[in-house]
Amino acid sequence: MPSAAPSTATPAHVPLTAEAEIALRESLRRCSAKTVDAAVAYGQTGAPQHIPAIIIGIIERFVEPELRPRLAADCDDLRVIEDLGLDSLTMMEIVMLVEEVTQTKIENDELRGLVTIGDIKIFVDCRARGVTPPAPAKVILGDELRNRMPITAPFLFLDEARVSPTLATASYRITGQEFFLAGHFKGNPVMPASIMLEALGQLGVLHLLAGLAVEPGKVVGVATIFFASTDGVRCHRVCKPGDVLTLTLKPKRVKEPLAVYTGSIRVGQEKAISAEEITLTFGIIDAPPAPEPTPTPAAEPALAQAPVAATAAPSVPSTAVPTPAA
Amino acid sequence: MPRIFITGLGFITSIGNSSAVVEQNLRELRHGFVSHPAFAADPIPVKVAAPVRDFKTDAEDPEDWTIPAPYSVKRDQLRSLSPNALYATCAMQQAIADAKLAPEDVSNDDTGLYAASAGSPGMLARQVNRMNQHGVMRCQPLGVVASIAGTVQFNLVAHFKIKGASTGFTSACAASAHAMGFAIDEIALGRQKRMFVVGAEDGNVETILPFAAMRALSLNPDPATASRPFDKRRDGFVGTGGATVLVLESEAEVLRRGVTPYAEVLGWGQASDGHNVAIPHPDGAGLISAMRKALAVTGVTPADVDYINAHGTSTPMGDAAECKAVRTVFGEHAARVAMSSTKALTGHGLSLAGAMEAGFCALALKRGFIPGSAHISELDPACEGIKIPRTTLAEQPRIVLNNSSGFGGANVCVVLKQVA
Repeated sequence: MPSAAPSTATPAHVPLTAEAEIALRESLRRCSAKTVDAAVAYGQTGAPQHIPAIIIGIIERFVEPELRPRLAADCDDLRVIEDLGLDSLTMMEIVMLVEEVTQTKIENDELRGLVTIGDIKIFVDCRARGVTPPAPAKVILGDELRNRMPITAPFLFLDEARVSPTLATASYRITGQEFFLAGHFKGNPVMPASIMLEALGQLGVLHLLAGLAVEPGKVVGVATIFFASTDGVRCHRVCKPGDVLTLTLKPKRVKEPLAVYTGSIRVGQEKAISAEEITLTFGIIDAPPAPEPTPTPAAEPALAQAPVAATAAPSVPSTAVPTPAA
Repeated sequence: MPRIFITGLGFITSIGNSSAVVEQNLRELRHGFVSHPAFAADPIPVKVAAPVRDFKTDAEDPEDWTIPAPYSVKRDQLRSLSPNALYATCAMQQAIADAKLAPEDVSNDDTGLYAASAGSPGMLARQVNRMNQHGVMRCQPLGVVASIAGTVQFNLVAHFKIKGASTGFTSACAASAHAMGFAIDEIALGRQKRMFVVGAEDGNVETILPFAAMRALSLNPDPATASRPFDKRRDGFVGTGGATVLVLESEAEVLRRGVTPYAEVLGWGQASDGHNVAIPHPDGAGLISAMRKALAVTGVTPADVDYINAHGTSTPMGDAAECKAVRTVFGEHAARVAMSSTKALTGHGLSLAGAMEAGFCALALKRGFIPGSAHISELDPACEGIKIPRTTLAEQPRIVLNNSSGFGGANVCVVLKQVA
């Protein structure tokens, strides 16, 4: 067996030996012919353009047959665990096969950041090209979410969000206690479509505040963000108390003063609402001066110095590598 | 103490994968032995085994296994199964259906599961080989769960959403009898209302052939005579695998659910030889003590017993010691009480044996027959003085004992009674 290429330097490609190709075909024998072809071609040439087909093909092999059609379309936003019904142990099986076929190494802490198919593709592609993969999307929830947002209860419709420059996802569970459900409708609480668009807009606010790169000394002004327009809205499913909304928002164009997104909401595997365009206005302002450092108790220096890691790292329960009980 | 009943059975065995087929084969004394293809190579002196019917689990990858209808297992369950856990999963489905248990009867705080297996040596060997050949991080993520000694209960407890007591027993050939004994106690102590008792073995090259070097296996190449407990020319046991599941329930549950039990479980006893790690005590000292304890706690006298399902593995020493023990305990009644070894038909299921044979006893009590002891052409003089029927008797037994003995000199005796 060839050993894994070092992950930091650009790997010098060594074409597959006949023996290694046999082993590769054996490892992939439950994958489609297309996947095997891509893996063999990648093994022979090291050309990264084969990686997407390899990743999709390997994931497809582990997905229940009825969910496989979802992998056919544009599927980079699909979350491997939530959307494809795979558990974290299956995710490890996928990673092992991807590692074996692409001769890369994915460490446990890196694995936690790989949530969508797009994440995996980009990660393996970067490894194959010898460049550092982007930092995983930041998870924002609880107090951090409430503190960042200019919107608050009873009008905040995000429970937990993941934000990267290219994608924002969030979840919101309809509790049934939302004030407007008392009247919408009489005796029949249904989440208003306008509120679902509002939730997507709120996720856009979070993306602007947390996911946008601006020049040093500047920030997106919290008080400058407003809803501008929406277009191409389609409703597909009625959402009721107990439903967990899964919001997905992709930036199409972001240039001050406009940020244009395309967004959708699903409940489980079912599409609930989609909007071709959701546009927010925003302004960039000078960053406020850094607050005076507050004295921290001696016992917690590490936490005080690394707030992002402390809040982000342990808060990905659904993708965390499981720790066997015994 | 609440009365306890057997209300459901599930069999995946060398003599059948349903109660109906098992009963027919016990009545007609049809065995499950073949010249095992995996033993064909010249250097292997052992030729006969009793493979599980209709399943094929030799492939390294469980997705290549053959699982007969009506059973099917999804990939996310299959990946953590050893062959014996697969057999146990199927036997469990049978037992649940047989006992007419609804999902809420299976998954609640008052229902537990005790299992017995030695794990899966084959799966463990593949896991270790893979680790050595391909590296630590190239092993199956669930390889540990699929191979170590608790694999059967890990899988069954999770898949069937068991919420009560659960653990595993590893006393080798007495293990599933121990599982049954302690399951009886769980109900007797009022801790559980219902217990599943599971015995399961892979029954493949890796579980059977290591006994060859111990000189415990029969070298007789004839499937029709290799396993012949109590026969003068017996020369060792023949290996088998599979799974048996018994459903034990308290009287209150039986009445609440309105089901007809197979048999009543009166109690059990156990004792150890304190003699040798692998050789039975020549007088059956531990087995004598186990049988006496079982009789004492159940208030049964030797005169009450109609049938003994012997441990009887067809090894020269074990069968002789057991006969001696039975003569000692039963005295003048030894010549009247019927004793047989159903291992003459099934082979020796190791950790499976106790549960499988308790299942046979339950069938015999419900359906009114006494299994014969097959393949005896000349009775060993060491086994004389006991009534060993050569054919199955169409007689209704009332009280039966089931004996099991394991490595380390562990002995278990379970007492069952006809439901009148």
